[in-house]
Amino acid sequence: MTQVGGHTERVRQRTHEGFLRYKGFRWAQFATALCVLAIGAYFVTATRLGRPPSGNSWLGYTLGTVSAGLIVWLACLGVRKRWITDHHYSLKAWVSAHVYLGLSLVVLATLHTGFQFGWNIHTLAYVLMMLVIASGAVGIWAYATLPSQLSHNRGETTRKQMLESLEKLDQQIHDVAQPLDRHGAAIARLSIELTEIGGGFWTRLTNRHGDCANRRALEQLRALPSSASARQAEALTKIEELMQQKAEVLALARRQMQITAMLEAWLFVHIPATFALLAALTAHIISVFAYW
Amino acid sequence: MAQEFKLRLITQRASGGDPIVRERHVAEPQATIGRAPDNDVVLADLSIDPHHARMRFAGPGRVAIESLEGQTFEVGGRRVSRAEVDLASAPVAIFGTYALALEADEDGDAVVTVTQDDHERHLTPSEFSLKAKMFGRRTMAWTFGLTILVLCLLVPLVGAEIFAHMRIHPDQQWSAGPLSKAHGFLETDCKACHTNAFVSVRDAACKACHQASPDAALVARAQDNSRRRGSPFQPVLVVDHGRPDLLLQGTPSPPDLGGRIALGFAKAFNHPTGRCASCHIEHAPPHGSGPAADKPLRVAAQTCQGCHTGLKDRLDHAGHQIDFGDAPSWAKHPAFRVQLVEETAPGRFTAIRTAFRPTLREVSGLNFSHQQHLDPLGGVTRQALGLARYRKPLDCQACHQPVAGGGYRPVDMPKDCGDCHSLAYARVGGEVKVLPHGSESLALAAFERLSGGGGGNAVWGGSDRQRPGTIAPTAGSAPSASAMAAYRAAISRGGVCFGCHELGVPATGQPDVHRVKLNNSYMPKGDFNHAIPAHNEFNAQHAPAAKCEDCHAAKTSTQASDVLMPAKATCEKCHAAQPQVAKELAGGTTCETCHSFHAPGRASRSPLMERPLEALRWSEAAGKPAV
Repeated sequence: MTQVGGHTERVRQRTHEGFLRYKGFRWAQFATALCVLAIGAYFVTATRLGRPPSGNSWLGYTLGTVSAGLIVWLACLGVRKRWITDHHYSLKAWVSAHVYLGLSLVVLATLHTGFQFGWNIHTLAYVLMMLVIASGAVGIWAYATLPSQLSHNRGETTRKQMLESLEKLDQQIHDVAQPLDRHGAAIARLSIELTEIGGGFWTRLTNRHGDCANRRALEQLRALPSSASARQAEALTKIEELMQQKAEVLALARRQMQITAMLEAWLFVHIPATFALLAALTAHIISVFAYW
Repeated sequence: MAQEFKLRLITQRASGGDPIVRERHVAEPQATIGRAPDNDVVLADLSIDPHHARMRFAGPGRVAIESLEGQTFEVGGRRVSRAEVDLASAPVAIFGTYALALEADEDGDAVVTVTQDDHERHLTPSEFSLKAKMFGRRTMAWTFGLTILVLCLLVPLVGAEIFAHMRIHPDQQWSAGPLSKAHGFLETDCKACHTNAFVSVRDAACKACHQASPDAALVARAQDNSRRRGSPFQPVLVVDHGRPDLLLQGTPSPPDLGGRIALGFAKAFNHPTGRCASCHIEHAPPHGSGPAADKPLRVAAQTCQGCHTGLKDRLDHAGHQIDFGDAPSWAKHPAFRVQLVEETAPGRFTAIRTAFRPTLREVSGLNFSHQQHLDPLGGVTRQALGLARYRKPLDCQACHQPVAGGGYRPVDMPKDCGDCHSLAYARVGGEVKVLPHGSESLALAAFERLSGGGGGNAVWGGSDRQRPGTIAPTAGSAPSASAMAAYRAAISRGGVCFGCHELGVPATGQPDVHRVKLNNSYMPKGDFNHAIPAHNEFNAQHAPAAKCEDCHAAKTSTQASDVLMPAKATCEKCHAAQPQVAKELAGGTTCETCHSFHAPGRASRSPLMERPLEALRWSEAAGKPAV
């Protein structure tokens, strides 16, 4: 790990180890206890209710209130993480609790439903909540496994170095291409100007850059008829070498981007689904109390 | 003096600061522009041809720029391959990323300042972060959140009326589950039951359609309500189990922790227990994916024993002095009490409930011996054997005729006793006149007609029957002396009435058949189904069945004043207080077997409540409820 680029990576690595194991799985234990308590209470009381269990019983209201409170609190992580506090580990504790209490909602909210589902706002809120939790679970998996892949992929090269070497290679291609005729220059320009490192959402996630400009430039370059001028021929040979190098750096950077994308993609479900959930939860609560 | 081009090449430093300026003179009236190093103006831009263009003076203060290999350049915002510019107007020619600004100096030379628009973008490591152009996290979050808020909250809240005609009602998404078929017509009429927002469904909403009442107008209104809201079924009409205040104060606190927590919640959320909706649950999930239930799900919020244990204490404590006993179990069920009719003052009859004991007497005003009628060796039996109607000794059903539903119709004297006890009192022209039974005034009128007196509109030999409610022709006037004499004769020893009716014949004034007041229901607070085979020897297809005499000591009763009701011990012969015996003998017997919740005096076989839904469908004939 290098001194320059490794700093943020190293902190993240330590954090991801930390939030799951924080204080000897304190929040995991708390969440498990909560779930066991809820399941116990459910099976003790559900049989005595005299009616099909639902959110409409006292246990239903309790579980519903706890679940709704948890959802709001869990959503506040988005606010909390934007505060800079003096307490270095408080955010880690928060994230740890966020993860385990979020997972405990699978039990609490499912018991709250009394296993009654239908095509209504209530089940919509439940489905959205499960979507948020599922995407969050993907996030936990990503944070647990992908940082090491990121580290392994880039080896000794930092992201900044990758970008710098790409820029340097572009500059070299630009310089070496100066003697080329219009056609040759156009090929060099294709590589320099139109090569996109990242691309869109899916391109990054799938790491499929079929129409990579550098690759096309390389193909066109190789298809050129042998040049009459020795100077041009030399330039073309040099450019081909440079483009080849560029392709290698691109592959490394793009794989880095793919892993980063996988590390971040779950948030594209987690965050919007959270907002949708908060809206559905509001509608659920208001509708239940308006018509009860 | 020959015109020449003076070139100023300005290069920005990568590190910022003052640019590098290099100057050169082209000692010719023309200068070439291109990427190749042999040009006068070398522009290191790959979009520029090796020999792109040439500048030359085209007159005083004028310069022509011409493309050499057909590649264009930009002058004055237009792409051209040839341009002639006036130096005085300080023209600028753009070649790729380079700008050539031309101007004239005082010598008439052209000064060409070459600058590069270096807008090269440097990538930063943030480029590695995932971004989406169209579906950014924040955009999606707000879009989804607001969409759901509008569609699922605002539209149902404010648009329920506006979109009421739509096929999918906006409120529908708020429904927790389907309504039962009985209430299915209210699926889009949430406010029929949920009358006030944020207030749980109250009994008034249920009673608007389901309140039973002795008042026909109220019943009609309930039915109208139901029809107006579009119910395809006639509503089941019920009454409360008791007075609401008694129910509220009589309901015990839950014994267990869960129940107490539930009660606390119910109070905190203004969700009272003991409502109709506490036991009759709507929006309950159908079993599996099956169709909706016919009727609302019925659950027991309380058990009978739960409330009827310590109930008297609770009600006493609340200041209600009510005469009744607790029934915490069948074993501790109070002794049966019978309701007897008593004449508390002349002509005033009152129903009095009292604990049953064999010595109880009820003065009904009749003389009758069950023993005499049922004695197999008695005269009645002998007479019955000779009558075509019987041809056998009398049994209970000879007089007590069962009706559908498990009860008996009241004994009808002329019909049930008339074969032996004739009411014939005269023969007129060969026709036997029969005294009307059950009405003193009708009897007097009959005697009046016989004697030819009265109002003069009596017709000999005419019908002695009157339309119900009308009084004899002599109404309003005192009976004639002869009619009174005939009446006196009828009720005196040897007369037609004598024997069954206890007589009070005053020395003077109007004679009086002792008022008869028969009891219709000895146990109005509980019910006994005579129709089921195990309860009725006449219905029993298979043994064993209870005989009438097992419960009613008629065979030994010689007085009409005997109260022929059973004690609790009689029921216990079969329905033993010990649970295991009870189960064997009478499995499934519960409190409700004798006491329906909504009509404690009736058994739960209440026909309307248990009728299948389809039987409740309105028909032209079903304008009236079958209560």
